Amino acid sequence: MGDMIKGNIAIAEAAVRAGIKLYAGYPITPSTEIMEYLSKRLPEVGASFVQAESELAGINMVMGAAACGVRALTASSGPGISLKQEGISCISDEELACVVINVVRYGNGLGTLYSAQCDYHRETRGGGNGDYRCIVLCPGSIQEAVDLMATAYELAEKYRIVTVMMTEGALGQMMEPCELPDFIEPKKHPWGFDGKYTYKKIGIFDRNSMDEAVELNKKHEAIKAEEQRWEEEGLEDADYVFVAFGLPGRSVQGAVKELRAEGHKVGFIRPITTWPFPEKAFENVNKDVKGLISVEANATGQLIDDVALTIKKVIKDRNVPTFCLPCVYGIPSMKFTKEGLHKIISGEIKEAY
Amino acid sequence: MAKARKVPAIIDNPMSFCPGCGHGIVIRLIAECLEELEQDQNLIFALGVGCSSLLGGGLVTDRLHCPHGRASAVATGMKRVQPENTIVAYQGDGDAYSIGIAETINAAYRNENFTMVAINNTNYGMTGGQMSWTTMPGQVTTTSPLGRDCEITGNPLKFPELVASQFDVAFAARGAVTSPKNINKLKKYIKNGLEAQINGEGYSVIEVLSPCPTNWKLSPLNSMKRIEEELIPYYPLGVFKERKEN
Amino acid sequence: MREIVYAGFGGQGVLTSGLVMSQVAIFKGQNATWIPSYGSAMRGGTANCTVKYGKDTIYNPAQEDPDLLLAMNGPSFEMFYPMVKSGGIILVNSDMVDCDVNVRDDVKVYKLACSTLAQEIKQPRGANIIAAAAIIKLAGDFSMEDGIQGMNDMFRKKGKEKFEAANMKAFECGFNAV
Repeated sequence: MGDMIKGNIAIAEAAVRAGIKLYAGYPITPSTEIMEYLSKRLPEVGASFVQAESELAGINMVMGAAACGVRALTASSGPGISLKQEGISCISDEELACVVINVVRYGNGLGTLYSAQCDYHRETRGGGNGDYRCIVLCPGSIQEAVDLMATAYELAEKYRIVTVMMTEGALGQMMEPCELPDFIEPKKHPWGFDGKYTYKKIGIFDRNSMDEAVELNKKHEAIKAEEQRWEEEGLEDADYVFVAFGLPGRSVQGAVKELRAEGHKVGFIRPITTWPFPEKAFENVNKDVKGLISVEANATGQLIDDVALTIKKVIKDRNVPTFCLPCVYGIPSMKFTKEGLHKIISGEIKEAY
Repeated sequence: MAKARKVPAIIDNPMSFCPGCGHGIVIRLIAECLEELEQDQNLIFALGVGCSSLLGGGLVTDRLHCPHGRASAVATGMKRVQPENTIVAYQGDGDAYSIGIAETINAAYRNENFTMVAINNTNYGMTGGQMSWTTMPGQVTTTSPLGRDCEITGNPLKFPELVASQFDVAFAARGAVTSPKNINKLKKYIKNGLEAQINGEGYSVIEVLSPCPTNWKLSPLNSMKRIEEELIPYYPLGVFKERKEN
Repeated sequence: MREIVYAGFGGQGVLTSGLVMSQVAIFKGQNATWIPSYGSAMRGGTANCTVKYGKDTIYNPAQEDPDLLLAMNGPSFEMFYPMVKSGGIILVNSDMVDCDVNVRDDVKVYKLACSTLAQEIKQPRGANIIAAAAIIKLAGDFSMEDGIQGMNDMFRKKGKEKFEAANMKAFECGFNAV
């Protein structure tokens, strides 16, 4: 077993080992340890670190590096990621590959420093102007985050898309034992600039949006078909199925275990990719299920929308009620989840859809 | 006697600039310099948004169309990961000095080792002639219909002078495309800027006073005359930061 | 699984006290999580962390039902004593907690003059290690030897082995004081 290591540090080191050649970013709690660590670490491995003047500049530096076909990283938290949307939209439009880490904190505008999942909709819907998606990875532990770091780049490069690693303030700040991955020396991609114009491209005014739309949809369909990731348990006989990701997802797993021991037929789906949403997991849900319950760290309920839409695709002959247990911020205690189930059964909590 | 020159290899398609526009001259000069410095096959352009965008269809070279104003940040990322390539940020005044002033100034502040060429035509050309930070006092644009009032809009920005006086950059100059003499001088500035980059001396900026007959509503000839008579007295030509070894 | 809250004001080293506990558990092959309050606490004010450890998977790393509480100052005691599980244990730093600590019948309260002890053994910065060791003893899951080895392992990996003798002295002092 590995040593105790802080989430942000482990993720940063995993990025180094995934072979990043550039980090550019701007400090913001609770993500800052990532850039602090890399400011020392990247020069040691011959890679570049730039403390950018702004979040905007940071993502655009990443865009420059990504255009050269090398692995580049930026990290921030909610408000900073808002500023980066221009760049993320452009990187997506240029079909470049990079990874953006969002260590989510709670709140609108400037927000707070609490750990949360309130950026779910923004991250899973693209986030910037236009019509694109990012692959969104939502680790539930430091080990999973570290293991997903190389995957994040592989997916970004395979599909030429932006991968968002959506963690939470608490995951960035907590410590637990973790085994770090081996070093990878990634290949420079043929579509990366080399100064010799070996990879041809057309000017923006010569592009054909109709043709590109067909290609974009093909790409999205391929990702949806191939890249859904999740963890599940107890779906086949479940009266109620919990859906939660990240640290809440992990806490819900514990609650489900206890509820099962107490005789409740419950199961869980913990999405690891929230885009593509793990629709395949829902096919394993008991067709007589009484309800699905999202547990999420936000105020208004966001994940619940995907849960409701997805179960509608799978169980078509009736409306399966879906319920939302939003804990606003932090990690919902197992007690919170268990009490939530009792309130749903008793009718105290009404269905969202 | 005039000497016939071949079109540089990296300029492929015609670019749809307006008649009398200065962009074409500048691009030609950049391409010639790159050929002469044997950098035309070792080159990445970070292109701004605006009339600079038209380079995207005309050049046959690695080039990225950057978000509006961010070319200097994009160029920073490129140069940091591929220092062996020559990186040119090509932007207009609205792109580089208004929406992109933060990225532009910070690249100079860090003395990033790339070259920016900024086309100063004292307005936003592509969007139809709005006021920019280099619009002259009293100049009529679509957003300063009564003439630019510097009391409430600030004074025209002199970027090369600013970075030359405040930051430790490698090379800063301003040229113009109004006459063969000025064009030859401009070419020297561009070459110096590129050489500074190739030698790893740091940030170089070449601003170019360039005509925009369409939006100025002047003939191409009168546009050149305006630059000579009105702009150059305010935006002096020359080198503001000499390279250290020169 | 054991859950312990370490609380005090910024600078008292409670985050390190908790980290020692978690590292000892890891050293003995168990699972562990350590989760701090962060943000404003990093810039002065109160600091606390929750440590969980045990042989099984730790699902929720955040505070749920603490078995033990270390309260290094008065406000921490006031804030956290109601949350301790019935039958649990509270250790207060009696140098800093001067309020009435006999406020619950269903938990056991220990008092330890951590700062005074640290002065006595001439390790003025050792109060948090003394407290950490006392908590390890009260939790009853690890021996003093395990504790010291786990702690030393942690500080060595941080490149702080030069404080090893001092830390061991503080650890022994705290472990034997409760």
